[in-house]
Amino acid sequence: MDKKKSLDLIKLEVLGCLSDKDKENLQAMKAEGEEFPWRVLGDYQNLIANLPLALELKYPASDLKDKTAMKLYNIRDQIKAKVDAKKAQQVPVQLVEEISESVETIEVQEKFEENIITEQVEVEEKVFAEVGEGIHFNVNDSNLSKEEPFKFVSNFKEKSEPENLFRQKADIETKESLKAVVDKEVVEKITRDYIKSHLEREIESLGKSVKNNRLLSFILFVISLILILALYFIR
Amino acid sequence: MADSNSLTDAEIMLKVAGYDSKALEQLYDRYAPILYTLIKKIVTDKDTAEEILSEVFVTVWRQIDQFDFKTNNVYTWLITLARNKAIDVLNRNNGKLLPEYTEDYEREHIIPKLSPEIEALELADVLNKKDKIEKALGSLTDAQKYVLELSYYGGMDQGEIAGKLNIPTMTVKSKLQVAFGNLMQKVSEAK
Repeated sequence: MDKKKSLDLIKLEVLGCLSDKDKENLQAMKAEGEEFPWRVLGDYQNLIANLPLALELKYPASDLKDKTAMKLYNIRDQIKAKVDAKKAQQVPVQLVEEISESVETIEVQEKFEENIITEQVEVEEKVFAEVGEGIHFNVNDSNLSKEEPFKFVSNFKEKSEPENLFRQKADIETKESLKAVVDKEVVEKITRDYIKSHLEREIESLGKSVKNNRLLSFILFVISLILILALYFIR
Repeated sequence: MADSNSLTDAEIMLKVAGYDSKALEQLYDRYAPILYTLIKKIVTDKDTAEEILSEVFVTVWRQIDQFDFKTNNVYTWLITLARNKAIDVLNRNNGKLLPEYTEDYEREHIIPKLSPEIEALELADVLNKKDKIEKALGSLTDAQKYVLELSYYGGMDQGEIAGKLNIPTMTVKSKLQVAFGNLMQKVSEAK
Protein backbone atom coordinates (compact mmCIF):
# COMPACT_ATOMS: atom_id res chain seq x y z
CA MET A 1 0.00 0.00 0.00
CA ASP A 2 1.25 3.48 -0.89
CA LYS A 3 1.25 5.14 2.53
CA LYS A 4 1.61 8.70 1.23
CA LYS A 5 -1.25 8.20 -1.20
CA SER A 6 -3.48 6.78 1.50
CA LEU A 7 -2.69 9.71 3.83
CA ASP A 8 -3.52 12.22 1.08
CA LEU A 9 -6.80 10.48 0.37
CA ILE A 10 -7.65 10.34 4.09
CA LYS A 11 -7.32 14.14 4.33
CA LEU A 12 -9.68 14.63 1.40
CA GLU A 13 -12.15 12.05 2.70
CA VAL A 14 -12.33 13.71 6.10
CA LEU A 15 -13.08 17.01 4.40
CA GLY A 16 -15.74 15.26 2.36
CA CYS A 17 -14.35 16.25 -1.02
CA LEU A 18 -13.12 13.02 -2.59
CA SER A 19 -13.80 12.45 -6.26
CA ASP A 20 -15.63 9.21 -7.19
CA LYS A 21 -12.38 7.66 -8.45
CA ASP A 22 -10.51 8.56 -5.24
CA LYS A 23 -13.40 7.18 -3.18
CA GLU A 24 -13.01 3.83 -4.94
CA ASN A 25 -9.24 3.85 -4.39
CA LEU A 26 -9.60 4.64 -0.69
CA GLN A 27 -12.27 1.99 -0.29
CA ALA A 28 -9.93 -0.57 -1.85
CA MET A 29 -7.14 0.49 0.54
CA LYS A 30 -9.46 0.09 3.53
CA ALA A 31 -10.52 -3.31 2.30
CA GLU A 32 -6.87 -4.40 2.14
CA GLY A 33 -7.04 -4.29 5.94
CA GLU A 34 -4.19 -4.33 8.41
CA GLU A 35 -1.84 -1.85 6.75
CA PHE A 36 -4.47 0.89 6.47
CA PRO A 37 -3.61 3.77 8.84
CA TRP A 38 -6.86 3.69 10.85
CA ARG A 39 -5.28 5.62 13.69
CA VAL A 40 -4.31 8.47 11.36
CA LEU A 41 -7.82 8.51 9.91
CA GLY A 42 -9.17 8.81 13.46
CA ASP A 43 -6.77 11.66 14.26
CA TYR A 44 -7.85 13.61 11.16
CA GLN A 45 -11.53 12.99 11.91
CA ASN A 46 -11.01 14.41 15.40
CA LEU A 47 -9.00 17.35 14.05
CA ILE A 48 -11.63 18.40 11.53
CA ALA A 49 -14.35 18.09 14.19
CA ASN A 50 -12.41 20.64 16.25
CA LEU A 51 -12.72 23.36 13.58
CA PRO A 52 -16.11 24.68 14.83
CA LEU A 53 -14.40 25.58 18.12
CA ALA A 54 -12.91 28.59 16.33
CA LEU A 55 -16.40 29.94 15.55
CA GLU A 56 -18.24 32.39 17.74
CA LEU A 57 -20.75 30.39 19.77
CA LYS A 58 -24.41 30.92 18.84
CA TYR A 59 -27.53 29.65 20.61
CA PRO A 60 -30.74 28.27 19.12
CA ALA A 61 -34.19 29.58 20.16
CA SER A 62 -35.20 28.40 23.61
CA ASP A 63 -38.42 26.81 22.33
CA LEU A 64 -36.49 24.57 19.93
CA LYS A 65 -36.07 21.95 22.64
CA ASP A 66 -39.86 21.68 23.01
CA LYS A 67 -40.27 21.43 19.23
CA THR A 68 -37.67 18.67 19.17
CA ALA A 69 -39.47 16.90 22.02
CA MET A 70 -42.70 17.10 19.99
CA LYS A 71 -40.93 15.55 16.98
CA LEU A 72 -39.66 12.74 19.17
CA TYR A 73 -43.18 12.23 20.53
CA ASN A 74 -44.48 11.96 16.97
CA ILE A 75 -42.06 9.16 16.12
CA ARG A 76 -42.79 7.17 19.29
CA ASP A 77 -44.58 4.46 17.28
CA GLN A 78 -41.55 4.12 15.02
CA ILE A 79 -39.25 3.76 18.04
CA LYS A 80 -41.65 1.31 19.70
CA ALA A 81 -41.70 -0.76 16.52
CA LYS A 82 -37.90 -0.71 16.48
CA VAL A 83 -37.69 -1.82 20.13
CA ASP A 84 -40.31 -4.54 19.51
CA ALA A 85 -38.39 -5.73 16.45
CA LYS A 86 -35.23 -5.94 18.56
CA LYS A 87 -37.10 -7.90 21.23
CA ALA A 88 -38.58 -10.19 18.57
CA GLN A 89 -35.08 -10.87 17.27
CA GLN A 90 -34.00 -11.82 20.77
CA VAL A 91 -37.04 -14.05 21.44
CA PRO A 92 -36.30 -16.67 18.73
CA VAL A 93 -32.80 -17.04 20.14
CA GLN A 94 -34.27 -17.60 23.61
CA LEU A 95 -36.83 -20.01 22.14
CA VAL A 96 -34.12 -22.04 20.42
CA GLU A 97 -32.23 -22.20 23.73
CA GLU A 98 -35.39 -23.24 25.60
CA ILE A 99 -36.24 -25.85 22.95
CA SER A 100 -32.74 -27.31 23.07
CA GLU A 101 -32.95 -27.36 26.87
CA SER A 102 -36.32 -29.11 26.79
CA VAL A 103 -35.02 -31.57 24.18
CA GLU A 104 -32.13 -32.33 26.53
CA THR A 105 -34.58 -32.74 29.42
CA ILE A 106 -36.73 -35.08 27.34
CA GLU A 107 -33.65 -37.06 26.35
CA VAL A 108 -32.62 -37.35 29.99
CA GLN A 109 -36.15 -38.38 30.96
CA GLU A 110 -36.26 -40.90 28.13
CA LYS A 111 -32.90 -42.33 29.20
CA PHE A 112 -34.09 -42.42 32.80
CA GLU A 113 -37.31 -44.21 31.83
CA GLU A 114 -35.35 -46.53 29.55
CA ASN A 115 -33.07 -47.34 32.47
CA ILE A 116 -36.02 -48.11 34.72
CA ILE A 117 -37.59 -50.33 32.06
CA THR A 118 -34.22 -51.98 31.47
CA GLU A 119 -33.84 -52.57 35.18
CA GLN A 120 -37.36 -54.01 35.41
CA VAL A 121 -36.75 -56.26 32.44
CA GLU A 122 -33.42 -57.20 33.96
CA VAL A 123 -35.07 -58.09 37.27
CA GLU A 124 -37.75 -60.06 35.43
CA GLU A 125 -35.11 -61.84 33.41
CA LYS A 126 -33.17 -62.58 36.58
CA VAL A 127 -36.27 -63.97 38.29
CA PHE A 128 -37.02 -65.94 35.18
CA ALA A 129 -33.46 -67.19 35.11
CA GLU A 130 -33.61 -68.13 38.78
CA VAL A 131 -36.84 -69.98 38.15
CA GLY A 132 -35.12 -71.63 35.20
CA GLU A 133 -32.25 -72.48 37.44
CA GLY A 134 -34.68 -73.99 39.91
CA ILE A 135 -36.36 -76.02 37.20
CA HIS A 136 -32.97 -77.08 36.02
CA PHE A 137 -32.09 -78.42 39.45
CA ASN A 138 -35.50 -79.93 40.04
CA VAL A 139 -35.87 -81.71 36.75
CA ASN A 140 -32.19 -82.39 36.46
CA ASP A 141 -32.21 -81.50 32.75
CA SER A 142 -28.87 -82.36 31.23
CA ASN A 143 -29.35 -79.93 28.30
CA LEU A 144 -29.42 -76.96 30.63
CA SER A 145 -26.14 -76.27 32.30
CA LYS A 146 -26.14 -74.72 35.74
CA GLU A 147 -24.72 -71.43 34.46
CA GLU A 148 -26.88 -71.01 31.37
CA PRO A 149 -29.69 -68.93 32.79
CA PHE A 150 -27.19 -66.58 34.48
CA LYS A 151 -25.24 -66.38 31.31
CA PHE A 152 -28.34 -65.08 29.60
CA VAL A 153 -28.90 -62.53 32.32
CA SER A 154 -25.25 -61.66 32.19
CA ASN A 155 -25.41 -60.98 28.45
CA PHE A 156 -28.44 -58.84 28.95
CA LYS A 157 -26.66 -56.93 31.64
CA GLU A 158 -23.66 -56.42 29.42
CA LYS A 159 -25.80 -54.76 26.78
CA SER A 160 -27.55 -52.62 29.34
CA GLU A 161 -24.39 -51.74 31.22
CA PRO A 162 -24.59 -48.17 32.58
CA GLU A 163 -22.85 -45.84 30.13
CA ASN A 164 -23.16 -42.58 31.95
CA LEU A 165 -24.01 -40.96 35.22
CA PHE A 166 -27.68 -40.75 34.38
CA ARG A 167 -27.85 -44.47 33.85
CA GLN A 168 -25.94 -45.11 37.07
CA LYS A 169 -28.26 -42.75 38.89
CA ALA A 170 -31.27 -44.51 37.41
CA ASP A 171 -29.87 -47.88 38.53
CA ILE A 172 -29.31 -46.66 42.06
CA GLU A 173 -32.73 -45.01 42.25
CA THR A 174 -34.53 -48.10 40.92
CA LYS A 175 -32.69 -50.35 43.35
CA GLU A 176 -33.49 -47.97 46.18
CA SER A 177 -37.17 -47.85 45.26
CA LEU A 178 -37.32 -51.65 45.08
CA LYS A 179 -35.57 -51.87 48.44
CA ALA A 180 -38.01 -49.35 49.88
CA VAL A 181 -40.99 -51.44 48.69
CA VAL A 182 -39.50 -54.59 50.25
CA ASP A 183 -38.72 -52.76 53.51
CA LYS A 184 -42.28 -51.43 53.69
CA GLU A 185 -43.74 -54.91 53.25
CA VAL A 186 -41.45 -56.33 55.94
CA VAL A 187 -42.37 -53.58 58.41
CA GLU A 188 -46.09 -54.15 57.75
CA LYS A 189 -45.67 -57.87 58.29
CA ILE A 190 -43.74 -57.37 61.54
CA THR A 191 -46.40 -54.94 62.77
CA ARG A 192 -49.19 -57.37 61.95
CA ASP A 193 -47.34 -60.23 63.72
CA TYR A 194 -46.66 -58.09 66.79
CA ILE A 195 -50.33 -57.07 67.04
CA LYS A 196 -51.38 -60.68 66.60
CA SER A 197 -49.01 -62.09 69.23
CA HIS A 198 -49.26 -59.40 71.94
CA LEU A 199 -52.25 -57.14 71.63
CA GLU A 200 -54.90 -59.66 70.55
CA ARG A 201 -54.80 -61.45 73.95
CA GLU A 202 -55.04 -58.20 75.82
CA ILE A 203 -57.99 -57.08 73.74
CA GLU A 204 -59.64 -60.45 74.28
CA SER A 205 -59.14 -60.28 78.06
CA LEU A 206 -60.30 -56.69 78.11
CA GLY A 207 -63.51 -57.72 76.32
CA LYS A 208 -64.07 -60.53 78.84
CA SER A 209 -63.58 -58.23 81.83
CA VAL A 210 -66.03 -55.73 80.37
CA LYS A 211 -68.58 -58.52 80.04
CA ASN A 212 -68.02 -59.62 83.70
CA ASN A 213 -68.28 -56.07 84.95
CA ARG A 214 -71.58 -55.60 83.16
CA LEU A 215 -72.98 -58.76 84.79
CA LEU A 216 -71.75 -57.69 88.23
CA SER A 217 -73.30 -54.27 87.86
CA PHE A 218 -76.63 -55.83 86.90
CA ILE A 219 -76.57 -58.15 89.96
CA LEU A 220 -75.76 -55.25 92.29
CA PHE A 221 -78.59 -53.24 90.76
CA VAL A 222 -81.08 -56.10 91.39
CA ILE A 223 -79.91 -56.55 95.02
CA SER A 224 -80.26 -52.83 95.64
CA LEU A 225 -83.77 -52.88 94.21
CA ILE A 226 -84.76 -55.84 96.46
CA LEU A 227 -83.38 -54.06 99.53
CA ILE A 228 -85.33 -50.90 98.76
CA LEU A 229 -88.54 -52.89 98.34
CA ALA A 230 -87.96 -54.81 101.61
CA LEU A 231 -87.47 -51.55 103.53
CA TYR A 232 -90.66 -50.15 102.04
CA PHE A 233 -92.77 -53.17 103.13
CA ILE A 234 -91.25 -53.33 106.66
CA ARG A 235 -92.38 -49.78 107.32
CA MET B 1 -27.32 8.70 42.83
CA ALA B 2 -24.78 10.43 40.62
CA ASP B 3 -25.39 14.04 39.64
CA SER B 4 -26.69 14.07 36.07
CA ASN B 5 -24.25 16.85 35.16
CA SER B 6 -21.34 14.70 36.26
CA LEU B 7 -22.15 12.06 33.67
CA THR B 8 -19.73 11.79 30.78
CA ASP B 9 -20.96 12.16 27.20
CA ALA B 10 -20.45 8.43 26.71
CA GLU B 11 -22.55 7.65 29.80
CA ILE B 12 -25.33 9.88 28.50
CA MET B 13 -25.17 8.17 25.11
CA LEU B 14 -25.50 4.82 26.81
CA LYS B 15 -28.68 6.03 28.49
CA VAL B 16 -29.95 7.40 25.18
CA ALA B 17 -29.37 3.94 23.73
CA GLY B 18 -31.90 2.74 26.31
CA TYR B 19 -34.35 5.38 24.99
CA ASP B 20 -34.04 7.49 28.11
CA SER B 21 -35.58 10.80 27.02
CA LYS B 22 -34.06 12.68 29.96
CA ALA B 23 -30.63 11.60 28.77
CA LEU B 24 -31.39 12.94 25.29
CA GLU B 25 -32.48 16.21 26.88
CA GLN B 26 -29.16 16.35 28.72
CA LEU B 27 -27.32 15.68 25.49
CA TYR B 28 -29.29 18.49 23.85
CA ASP B 29 -28.49 20.93 26.64
CA ARG B 30 -24.82 20.07 26.39
CA TYR B 31 -24.38 19.99 22.62
CA ALA B 32 -27.06 22.27 21.12
CA PRO B 33 -24.90 25.47 21.14
CA ILE B 34 -21.82 23.99 19.42
CA LEU B 35 -23.92 22.03 16.92
CA TYR B 36 -26.12 25.03 16.18
CA THR B 37 -23.05 27.23 15.67
CA LEU B 38 -21.66 24.76 13.13
CA ILE B 39 -24.98 24.29 11.32
CA LYS B 40 -25.64 28.05 11.19
CA LYS B 41 -22.20 28.58 9.67
CA ILE B 42 -23.08 26.11 6.91
CA VAL B 43 -26.69 27.06 6.05
CA THR B 44 -26.67 30.67 7.41
CA ASP B 45 -30.50 30.86 7.65
CA LYS B 46 -31.61 30.80 11.30
CA ASP B 47 -34.86 28.84 10.83
CA THR B 48 -33.20 26.27 8.58
CA ALA B 49 -30.36 25.89 11.07
CA GLU B 50 -32.83 25.31 13.92
CA GLU B 51 -34.77 22.81 11.85
CA ILE B 52 -31.56 20.90 11.07
CA LEU B 53 -30.45 20.97 14.71
CA SER B 54 -33.80 19.54 15.73
CA GLU B 55 -33.48 16.85 13.05
CA VAL B 56 -30.00 15.97 14.29
CA PHE B 57 -31.40 15.01 17.69
CA VAL B 58 -34.28 13.11 16.11
CA THR B 59 -31.68 11.20 14.08
CA VAL B 60 -29.65 10.48 17.22
CA TRP B 61 -32.82 9.08 18.81
CA ARG B 62 -33.69 6.96 15.77
CA GLN B 63 -30.19 5.82 14.84
CA ILE B 64 -28.58 5.44 18.24
CA ASP B 65 -27.75 1.82 17.39
CA GLN B 66 -25.35 3.18 14.76
CA PHE B 67 -23.19 4.81 17.41
CA ASP B 68 -20.00 2.88 18.11
CA PHE B 69 -19.87 2.26 21.85
CA LYS B 70 -16.44 0.69 21.47
CA THR B 71 -14.73 3.92 20.46
CA ASN B 72 -17.22 6.09 22.39
CA ASN B 73 -16.33 9.28 20.52
CA VAL B 74 -19.51 11.26 21.17
CA TYR B 75 -18.12 14.66 20.26
CA THR B 76 -16.77 13.81 16.79
CA TRP B 77 -19.79 11.63 16.03
CA LEU B 78 -22.27 14.41 16.79
CA ILE B 79 -20.25 17.14 15.06
CA THR B 80 -19.83 14.99 11.93
CA LEU B 81 -23.51 14.04 11.98
CA ALA B 82 -24.58 17.69 12.24
CA ARG B 83 -22.17 18.73 9.50
CA ASN B 84 -23.32 15.94 7.16
CA LYS B 85 -26.97 16.89 7.71
CA ALA B 86 -26.36 20.56 7.15
CA ILE B 87 -24.28 19.97 4.00
CA ASP B 88 -27.00 17.66 2.66
CA VAL B 89 -29.68 20.34 3.18
CA LEU B 90 -27.40 23.00 1.67
CA ASN B 91 -26.73 20.89 -1.42
CA ARG B 92 -30.43 20.09 -1.90
CA ASN B 93 -31.36 23.77 -1.46
CA ASN B 94 -28.73 24.68 -4.03
CA GLY B 95 -30.38 22.33 -6.51
CA LYS B 96 -27.80 19.57 -6.41
CA LEU B 97 -29.26 16.27 -7.63
CA LEU B 98 -29.13 13.84 -4.73
CA PRO B 99 -30.91 10.55 -4.07
CA GLU B 100 -34.15 10.62 -2.07
CA TYR B 101 -33.57 11.02 1.66
CA THR B 102 -34.44 7.58 3.01
CA GLU B 103 -33.28 5.64 6.05
CA ASP B 104 -30.78 3.75 3.88
CA TYR B 105 -29.48 7.02 2.42
CA GLU B 106 -29.16 8.41 5.93
CA ARG B 107 -27.16 5.42 7.08
CA GLU B 108 -24.93 5.54 4.03
CA HIS B 109 -24.28 9.27 3.72
CA ILE B 110 -25.31 11.07 6.92
CA ILE B 111 -24.42 8.78 9.81
CA PRO B 112 -20.68 9.21 10.49
CA LYS B 113 -18.32 6.34 9.81
CA LEU B 114 -15.55 6.98 12.28
CA SER B 115 -12.30 5.07 12.35
CA PRO B 116 -12.36 2.03 14.64
CA GLU B 117 -9.10 3.33 16.13
CA ILE B 118 -10.24 6.88 16.84
CA GLU B 119 -9.45 8.45 20.20
CA ALA B 120 -12.57 9.24 22.26
CA LEU B 121 -13.40 12.94 22.66
CA GLU B 122 -15.78 14.59 25.10
CA LEU B 123 -17.13 18.11 24.73
CA ALA B 124 -15.71 19.25 28.06
CA ASP B 125 -12.18 18.25 26.99
CA VAL B 126 -12.52 19.69 23.50
CA LEU B 127 -13.63 23.11 24.77
CA ASN B 128 -10.30 23.40 26.56
CA LYS B 129 -8.55 23.15 23.18
CA LYS B 130 -10.34 26.20 21.73
CA ASP B 131 -7.28 28.47 21.97
CA LYS B 132 -4.98 25.90 20.39
CA ILE B 133 -7.31 25.40 17.44
CA GLU B 134 -7.69 29.16 16.90
CA LYS B 135 -3.93 29.56 17.05
CA ALA B 136 -3.32 26.69 14.62
CA LEU B 137 -5.90 28.06 12.18
CA GLY B 138 -4.35 31.52 12.48
CA SER B 139 -1.01 30.14 11.36
CA LEU B 140 -2.41 29.01 7.97
CA THR B 141 -2.20 31.26 4.90
CA ASP B 142 -5.40 32.98 3.77
CA ALA B 143 -5.54 30.77 0.67
CA GLN B 144 -5.23 27.61 2.78
CA LYS B 145 -7.91 28.83 5.19
CA TYR B 146 -10.18 29.68 2.29
CA VAL B 147 -9.99 26.29 0.60
CA LEU B 148 -10.51 24.59 3.94
CA GLU B 149 -13.55 26.73 4.58
CA LEU B 150 -15.03 26.11 1.13
CA SER B 151 -14.58 22.42 1.63
CA TYR B 152 -15.66 21.99 5.26
CA TYR B 153 -18.36 24.63 5.64
CA GLY B 154 -19.28 25.02 1.95
CA GLY B 155 -19.54 21.28 1.28
CA MET B 156 -17.80 21.77 -2.06
CA ASP B 157 -15.87 19.00 -3.76
CA GLN B 158 -12.54 19.51 -5.57
CA GLY B 159 -14.18 20.33 -8.89
CA GLU B 160 -16.54 22.91 -7.40
CA ILE B 161 -13.72 24.64 -5.54
CA ALA B 162 -11.61 24.59 -8.71
CA GLY B 163 -14.50 26.16 -10.64
CA LYS B 164 -15.07 28.83 -8.01
CA LEU B 165 -11.39 29.75 -7.73
CA ASN B 166 -10.71 29.19 -11.42
CA ILE B 167 -7.74 26.95 -10.74
CA PRO B 168 -6.98 23.33 -11.75
CA THR B 169 -8.50 20.52 -9.69
CA MET B 170 -5.05 19.12 -8.94
CA THR B 171 -4.05 22.44 -7.40
CA VAL B 172 -7.15 22.41 -5.19
CA LYS B 173 -6.32 18.89 -4.13
CA SER B 174 -2.75 19.73 -3.18
CA LYS B 175 -3.78 22.97 -1.42
CA LEU B 176 -6.33 21.10 0.69
CA GLN B 177 -3.83 18.40 1.58
CA VAL B 178 -1.12 20.90 2.50
CA ALA B 179 -3.53 23.07 4.50
CA PHE B 180 -4.87 20.11 6.44
CA GLY B 181 -1.38 18.69 6.99
CA ASN B 182 -0.16 22.05 8.34
CA LEU B 183 -3.16 22.32 10.64
CA MET B 184 -2.47 18.89 12.08
CA GLN B 185 1.17 19.79 12.58
CA LYS B 186 0.35 23.06 14.35
CA VAL B 187 -2.20 21.41 16.65
CA SER B 188 0.28 18.64 17.47
CA GLU B 189 2.98 21.20 18.23
CA ALA B 190 0.63 23.09 20.52
CA LYS B 191 0.00 19.95 22.65
